[in-house]
Amino acid sequence: MTSRRTRRLLAVPLALGLLVAACGSDDDDDGGEGTTATTAADSEPDTTEPETESTDAEPDTTEAPDGDGDADEAEGDVDTDIEADVESVRSFGGDIVIGVEAEATGLRPWEDACAEPCLVLHRAIFDQLVEQAADGTYQPWLAESITPNDDFTVWTVMLRPDVTFTDGTPLTAQTVADMFPIQQAGAVTAGLIAGAGLETVEATGDLEVTYTLSSPNSAFPAVLANATGRVFEPAAAAADPDGFSTNPVGTGPFVVDSRDLDNETVLVRNDNYWLVDSEGQQLPYLDSVSVRPIPDEGTRLDAQLSGTIDVMQTLRQGTIRDARDAGGDFTLLEFQGSNTGGGMFNTALPPYDDVRVRRGLILMNNQEAVIEALGGTGISQQTTQWFSADSPWYSQAVADAWPDFDFDAGVASITEYINDPARSDGKAPGEPIDVELSCPPDPTLIAAMQVIEQVWSGSGVVNVNLTQFDQATHINNALTDIHQAHCWRWSSDQDPSISINPFVAPPEASPVNFPNYYNQEWFDAAQAAIQTDDFDERKALYESIMLGLAEEFPIWYSGGTATLLMTDPEIKGINGWLLPSGDLGVGFPGAAPRLQETWVEQ
Amino acid sequence: MVRVIATRVVRLVATLLAVTFLTFTMLEFLPGDPVNAILPPNAVRTPELIAQVRADLNLDDPFFQRYFAWLGDALTGDLGQSYVTDQEVSEIITSRLPITLQLAVMGILLALILAVPIGILGAYKQGKWQDTVTSAGVQVGLSVPNFIFGIFLIWLFAVNLQWLPASNWNRLSDGLVDNLKTAILPASALALTQMAIFSRLVRADMIGTLQENYILSARAKGLSNRFILFRHALRPSSLSLMTIVGINFGALLGGTVIIETLFAVPGIGFRLINAINQRDILVIQGITVFIAASYVLINTLVDLLYSALDPRIRRS
Repeated sequence: MTSRRTRRLLAVPLALGLLVAACGSDDDDDGGEGTTATTAADSEPDTTEPETESTDAEPDTTEAPDGDGDADEAEGDVDTDIEADVESVRSFGGDIVIGVEAEATGLRPWEDACAEPCLVLHRAIFDQLVEQAADGTYQPWLAESITPNDDFTVWTVMLRPDVTFTDGTPLTAQTVADMFPIQQAGAVTAGLIAGAGLETVEATGDLEVTYTLSSPNSAFPAVLANATGRVFEPAAAAADPDGFSTNPVGTGPFVVDSRDLDNETVLVRNDNYWLVDSEGQQLPYLDSVSVRPIPDEGTRLDAQLSGTIDVMQTLRQGTIRDARDAGGDFTLLEFQGSNTGGGMFNTALPPYDDVRVRRGLILMNNQEAVIEALGGTGISQQTTQWFSADSPWYSQAVADAWPDFDFDAGVASITEYINDPARSDGKAPGEPIDVELSCPPDPTLIAAMQVIEQVWSGSGVVNVNLTQFDQATHINNALTDIHQAHCWRWSSDQDPSISINPFVAPPEASPVNFPNYYNQEWFDAAQAAIQTDDFDERKALYESIMLGLAEEFPIWYSGGTATLLMTDPEIKGINGWLLPSGDLGVGFPGAAPRLQETWVEQ
Repeated sequence: MVRVIATRVVRLVATLLAVTFLTFTMLEFLPGDPVNAILPPNAVRTPELIAQVRADLNLDDPFFQRYFAWLGDALTGDLGQSYVTDQEVSEIITSRLPITLQLAVMGILLALILAVPIGILGAYKQGKWQDTVTSAGVQVGLSVPNFIFGIFLIWLFAVNLQWLPASNWNRLSDGLVDNLKTAILPASALALTQMAIFSRLVRADMIGTLQENYILSARAKGLSNRFILFRHALRPSSLSLMTIVGINFGALLGGTVIIETLFAVPGIGFRLINAINQRDILVIQGITVFIAASYVLINTLVDLLYSALDPRIRRS
């Protein structure tokens, strides 16, 4: 029973990180584009430093083309680069309205699942111990420093002094330690804690917190840059857990003023916020932020175009295309990180247990057509691995190894299987294989799956049966191996260890090895990658796993996940906020902005 | 009259029982384990936790036992608790009902304000160009789904003219004017189809009424056309209008789902859609039963009112 429980616990980080949600990635998935190696500011020994090629040349923010005919100019500008705005005059005051695609059902970091629409609120109300920088490194935020021991099993976090929660309670090491039991029991954080092998959190000084892990993890700061490191006031949480969901207490730049579920959550400035800008002025700049769930994509865009809202979030390629085409004077902040759509085969079942079938199906997966069906041509990019092209983890060798669409080669590969008298599915030689392709009933996912179904069915060697289950059931089917060809999302912009290590662990020990494909070399490589802080070494290890995926094909890809924040032109700072170190922060990954340094230009 | 009321009440109770049973049954047969829907996607699904959830919700009890337990609670006003937000379902309904009611009332009123003159004009000018034009307009109103009309309204009044907001519902507590600014577009979208139905009804009834002898008599007395139309003809024609208004008002309580979602209006329909997306079964069940019960109840009240107003119906 203990073993089963452990496996379940380990399932959770990837159930988030690999979540198939059409509406975007989950809490684990937030993070910046590019590098994800950890750093410990002002601490020894340093954790790995990534290469910095992710900070490409930084063109200006994409401006919406004026009128018709200029939309093509925007094509290919998939990402808006992160840069500090040094031209605009920063000013205090102002109220903005943000339209998001869904309501946050709860505001408890330890309990409530939180995707991008919800992260807009969480990031404004709570601070994290660690944040990601624009170059992908992890840097202290509420923490002042993070120091590992020699074997990365004990991490010492020094908190910033003189930080208070919005209810006046001071932030101390004991506060963070007191959060831990609540997090261990939380629906969201329990799995993250188990996945990280986090055993104890102790206050070892007034501001010193010691995290002890069950095994080495050189990427542990990445764990503190998600819900596990999101700091809340534990006494208030314990006193009234349900009430905390509507009246949360954090240390963030804003505090909840009113919450009208499904309509409007109003956040007002935290006058005692600890962070100052580069000129020493206390943040945040804005007086208030109103967050409105507007589920209809067209209405949300119209609300932006009509001035009903000031900032619009979308996770849909079709809406990004419409926003580009809309004209008007708006700023388009686009992001496409390492999160990619796709799917997986349950290699424990015939015919997916034969690489000829998997290879054949992937050769017949026309990513370009799938992206076009989603309205993402010129917006989303084809993917070949778990890292976007601007990530320092990206491998050209993997990109070269991943096969291009080749219908005839795919047919040939499957034909070889179906003509094999010893074919694993027990059917007579020459009979087509049966494939059950399953997705949640999301319109965009269905469109993508229909393209794949048409191509596969058109081969004459594959009978495709499309099935749909609600998202919760879809995820559980993957966790409990009730799946065949299963659409899914892969990767995030966090450290690769967060998503890859459990994925390549033995299936009997890791339910998030969804394809049930085990390769000892991959597993060993993943383990070695969290026992060193040498970036090149780590990159080579993860590259070897990606190359293995391009040989064994347990999963497929259907294009990167593009997101957009569309703002009024006078709203500044979303893509240029700074870390306490003075380095640029990660920006707005997944269209989930940090608002502490956002201002309205006068 | 007592017997009429008693009969209607018995029918009402039987219908409500059938509605609750059918709703419960349909949700029972949805694919997938409800536990998957209840637990957050990233919850730690230990066997112990799953067993506990099943026990807490009596999911291992036989179907009828669970149905009657739910029914018993529902009769006392306890519709259960949302799995997602932990709110009481009854609280969810009562907090959102005023919004949906406001939209429905505004939709019906707007429809009536337009439909009655249009219907009267069509009847009075039967066969003439005014009738042709209004009939064509009515036909458009019947043909265009209200959400398409809603999208058109947003495009016209929010995006192009920028007179009204595309969404951002303001509650009445925010001020009447602010509230009406955000309510007028969704209410207008709801009103279109209703207006078309009402005006056709008024026109048809009025055409019949205008051929009655007492109308000819009134004309012979030299009464003005306006007086005849509004005082003599409209009143007898309004009985059937009242009936259809009542029935459609009940239907609108459930029919606001798409419009509320389109305009992001936090009413019952919007919550219902969210609950469906989240597989929040008790909320789906509670709201569905509430909408069905409201519909049945309003219909019954209309029947009773009709009976009270028209002795011929009461006697029959």
